[in-house]
Amino acid sequence: MKIDCTIDGKTLTLSLNSDKPLSLILRENMGEEGSVNHCSGAMCGLCAVLVDGKAMLSCMVPAFEIRGKTVVTFESFRRTRGMRDIEKAYESVGAYPCPDCYASRTIIFESLIDEAITDKEQILRELAMVRCPCMDPEDEIMIVQRGIELRRKRNVRRSQLP
Amino acid sequence: MYEGLSSPNIHTPANLSEYASIILHYPASSLWAGGTFIMSRPDSYPSRRMNAEIIYLGEIEELHRFQRNDRFAEFGAMVTLDEILNTGKAVLPKVLIENIESIGSRLITRRATIGGTICTEGFTTSFPGTLIALDAMAEVRFIKKKRLHSRWMQLTRLLDRNGRIMLPPQGMISRVRIAFTEKNCQYFTRIGSFMLEPDEAVSAAFTGTLDQDILLNPRISFTYPSIGICYSRDIDNIFSSLRFPLDETELGNLEGMVFTFIDSFFQGLSELQKVRTAGILRSIIEDLNVRALTLPSDEA
Repeated sequence: MKIDCTIDGKTLTLSLNSDKPLSLILRENMGEEGSVNHCSGAMCGLCAVLVDGKAMLSCMVPAFEIRGKTVVTFESFRRTRGMRDIEKAYESVGAYPCPDCYASRTIIFESLIDEAITDKEQILRELAMVRCPCMDPEDEIMIVQRGIELRRKRNVRRSQLP
Repeated sequence: MYEGLSSPNIHTPANLSEYASIILHYPASSLWAGGTFIMSRPDSYPSRRMNAEIIYLGEIEELHRFQRNDRFAEFGAMVTLDEILNTGKAVLPKVLIENIESIGSRLITRRATIGGTICTEGFTTSFPGTLIALDAMAEVRFIKKKRLHSRWMQLTRLLDRNGRIMLPPQGMISRVRIAFTEKNCQYFTRIGSFMLEPDEAVSAAFTGTLDQDILLNPRISFTYPSIGICYSRDIDNIFSSLRFPLDETELGNLEGMVFTFIDSFFQGLSELQKVRTAGILRSIIEDLNVRALTLPSDEA
C-alpha cells in the first residue's frame, strides 16, 4: 500500500503494509531506533510522537491512518523553540527524565504545555502512560506549569514585535 | 520487516450505504474503529490472516455525530471517549465520567471510540458494563436480505449467556443513547489493569436512588475482561428496597447471595478476582451506609 505523509518535515510516499504500526515505520523505515520504542503491545509508553500536533502512542497508529498527516518525532522536535521551553523548565525545576524515557516524556510534556493544561490530576494521568518511574510526580507538575509560563512569555514577546 | 507479506486491504467507506455495499462484497471483513485494542495485542502485526479485509469506520460522517436533548445524549459509534468527556462532562452521569477518567491518559482516550469499546472481539472493556448499569440503548445495523437494517436495542439484550456482547452477523453498532439519570448513587470502581492483567482485573458499575434510606431502582454490573459482563435482574432484585445502613451480618448475607449468582454465571473467576469483587461490593455498601446515616433530616 502506498501512503503519502509528512514525517519530520519531509513529504514522503512510503510503500508499506497497511497495518504496520507507526512505531515500526519510524524504526525500520526512518531509522529512528533511538527515540521510538516498539514494545509489541506491552504499553510501555516510550513511543510517543506528535500526529497533527497531538501526542499519540505511535505503536497504536496503523500505517493507513497516517495518510495525509504530519508526524513529528523527538528527533525533529528537539530542534524547535518548543523544545527550548521544555529544556528551560527542566533546568528551573532541576529534574530531568532518564535517557530511556526522555524522548517520549518530552513529547507528552509538549502536548500538555501546548494545550496549557494546568489540572494536576490530568497532568499526572497523561504522564502515567510512560511506565518509567524516573520522575517525581510533583516535579512533573512543576515542569508543565513552568513550561506553560515560559511559552506564554515567549508568545507575548513575539506578539509585541513590530 | 514483513514487507513481503500480504498487506490487508483497507476499505474506507464515506457513508453507511457504502459500508453496506462493502460488507456485502466482503462478508468476512473486520471492522476497525479506534484500533486501540487491536494494536495493543502482541501479535497484531504482521497480520496472521491472509487476504484480510479491513473496513475502517473513521471516515463515516454519521458515526461522528453527537446530539443531546433534555432526556438523553446520543453518540455516534466513532465518537472518542475524549470527545465524550469534553462535550458532556457537566451533563453525563457521574459513573460514565468516572469510567472514562479511570481509563487514564488521553493518549488512549483520544483514539478509543464508544462503539469500539463495546464491540471489542474476545475481550470485554469496562465500558459496556457501565452502559448496562445506565440502561443505555444501542442502534444495531445489520444486513438482512442484502439490505442494511437498523434496530434500537437495550445493551442488556445484546449480552449472550457468557456475558459477551454479541451482534448479528455482519452487524455493527452505529449509535449509543445514554439517558440522563436522576439516580443519586452512582459508583464506578476498577481494580487492576484491563489491558495488562486481564485475568485478574475487575470493574463494577452501580447506579441507584437512595430515597429515605431505601434503595430504589438499583442496577449493578461486574466486568471481568477475559470472561465477560455479569449483569442480572436477579442481582438487582437482591439490592432492591434494601433499607440502609446494613450491619455486618446483613452485608455477609448480601455478599453470599450475590456470589451465588456470579458463580452460576462464571466458573472461571480467579481467586483474586473474587476477593476484588467482594472488596468492591463492600465499598459500595459502606458508602451507601454512610450516605444513609448522613442524609439531611428532611430526606431521612
